[in-house]
Amino acid sequence: MNRTSPLGQAGLWIAILIAAVVTVFPFYWMLNTALKPQSEVFLSPPAFYSANWSLEAFRTLLVERPFARYFLNSLIVSLGSTLLSVALATFAAYGFTRFHIKGAGALIVFLLFTKMLPETLLIIPYFRLMSELGLINSHLSLILAYSSFALPFSVWMLIGFFRSIPLEIDEAAIVDGASRITTLWRVILPLARPGLVAVALFTFLISWNAYVWALVLTTDPSMFVLSVGIANMVGEYRVQWNELMAAAMIAAVPVMVMFAFLERHLVNALTAGAVKG
Amino acid sequence: MSNTTTTTNIPARAWTGRGLARERWHGYLFLAPTLLFLAAVIVLPLFHAFWTSFQRIRGLNSTFVGFANYVRVLEDEAFWHSLRVSLGFVSISVVAHVVLGLLLALALNKITFARTALRVLFLTPWMVAAAVGATIWLWLLEPQFGVINYILQSAGLISAPVAWLGTPGTAFAAVTTVEIWRGVPFIMLLTLAGLQTIPAEQYEAAEIDGATTWQKFRFITLPNLKYLLVVASTLDIINVVRHYDIIGIMTGGGPAGATEVLPALLYNTAFRANRFGEAAAIGVLLLLMVLIFAAMYLRITRVGQEDDRR
Repeated sequence: MNRTSPLGQAGLWIAILIAAVVTVFPFYWMLNTALKPQSEVFLSPPAFYSANWSLEAFRTLLVERPFARYFLNSLIVSLGSTLLSVALATFAAYGFTRFHIKGAGALIVFLLFTKMLPETLLIIPYFRLMSELGLINSHLSLILAYSSFALPFSVWMLIGFFRSIPLEIDEAAIVDGASRITTLWRVILPLARPGLVAVALFTFLISWNAYVWALVLTTDPSMFVLSVGIANMVGEYRVQWNELMAAAMIAAVPVMVMFAFLERHLVNALTAGAVKG
Repeated sequence: MSNTTTTTNIPARAWTGRGLARERWHGYLFLAPTLLFLAAVIVLPLFHAFWTSFQRIRGLNSTFVGFANYVRVLEDEAFWHSLRVSLGFVSISVVAHVVLGLLLALALNKITFARTALRVLFLTPWMVAAAVGATIWLWLLEPQFGVINYILQSAGLISAPVAWLGTPGTAFAAVTTVEIWRGVPFIMLLTLAGLQTIPAEQYEAAEIDGATTWQKFRFITLPNLKYLLVVASTLDIINVVRHYDIIGIMTGGGPAGATEVLPALLYNTAFRANRFGEAAAIGVLLLLMVLIFAAMYLRITRVGQEDDRR
């Protein structure tokens, strides 16, 4: 099927290149603008490349604006929800794959269902519950919220990984006198490490990229995460586009780097997990 | 991809060792933390949302009003308008995602050079936060200094700068474009994985029979991908119909409600107008729509599972 005529190959590559340009140009423009000094942002015609690229906008963001704080908030919240949901998902996936669970099918459908709820609907009770608990403007409220929508997916993905580990391995460990917990911790988890990495990464990315929850659950600027900090800049009277694009880079580049390194893991997990649910 | 079509047969291989019966209930201990957590952070809020949809909320006071919120929402033209906007937004986006995602996957499947690198590259819009992607597009579409107006003007396609997000028609086109840009990679990724499961022999046999490229696509690729494409579009519908971030950042639902999809109407009713009861009612109606597609999804994937067993 790969035997295509040279003309066909050329056409194919032209199509791919056009698609690639459309896909990536916005990110190039983000980089280009982020690196421009203030004086060149509003040039007409716009400069597609500048000899004066500098890190001025980043310096302003980190020194004069609280973006270091936003970055830290994003990091705390994403790491917190990753830890929480991977820990819970590990136990759940072990339970699903190692035991006879009555109604396992119904529970799986329930997990699927929780993944499909409109988040804007859940935000209303969340906002009211968190207000009553005094948890507005706390990392905890975001960690709980992000874990709630990352957890079903984590369980899904981990079930797939745990199923690929033969039950005989558990049996052998238990015959040797290990408890279930020891078996899980000392035998299964090391074997499932690639899966755990993929799940942890995916949870991290979901939390890092989330927007509307943090928008509603934080009102104090010192508690903003990156996405809300960025949205807040969009609403300013006179938008400093080079700073805004630098902020977008601070949010986007960690994701791109993580993804480029772990693409294969993640893609395998996602294609299996996504089509499954 | 061999396991992509299985859904509910998770505990298929129960441990047959003698330990099983004795510790049967231990399995529930492993599930308990997750189930309790989800009960607290999903089920409880969900019930709370239903309860809210039957209340009129004034500050800290709420009174039970039965279906009054639903009646008010359904009698309000804004809801029906929003439903139409959602239908347009979702159908255009999903069709474009599937068509472009499929084409892109077919193209990537044909090449051997730089395939992994290109796959990562094409996934970028999908892995970066929707809120960030939308922010970048705001700048691209900026009326006075935005690069899109500059490019279109240089190419002679428009004579004067266009305020893309300022008029209803172009604003809808703009947010839909951004949603398409963001969602194509997801379908591409699934389709690419699906393409790799099609046995090469089928193509070889077709070539011996002198099939054209179109015939191979029509009679081998498409039938093999049919199931995957149906599942992927159902998932995509569920994802797009709930999605708020892009429109929340770019237009907030405006101008004149032109981009006020249901999640945007819900958000604005709750957090701009402070009418939580009505917002919850809109949310429940949105949930019902999602559930229709979720039920479809479950049905389809179960059918697929039976196909596998044959």
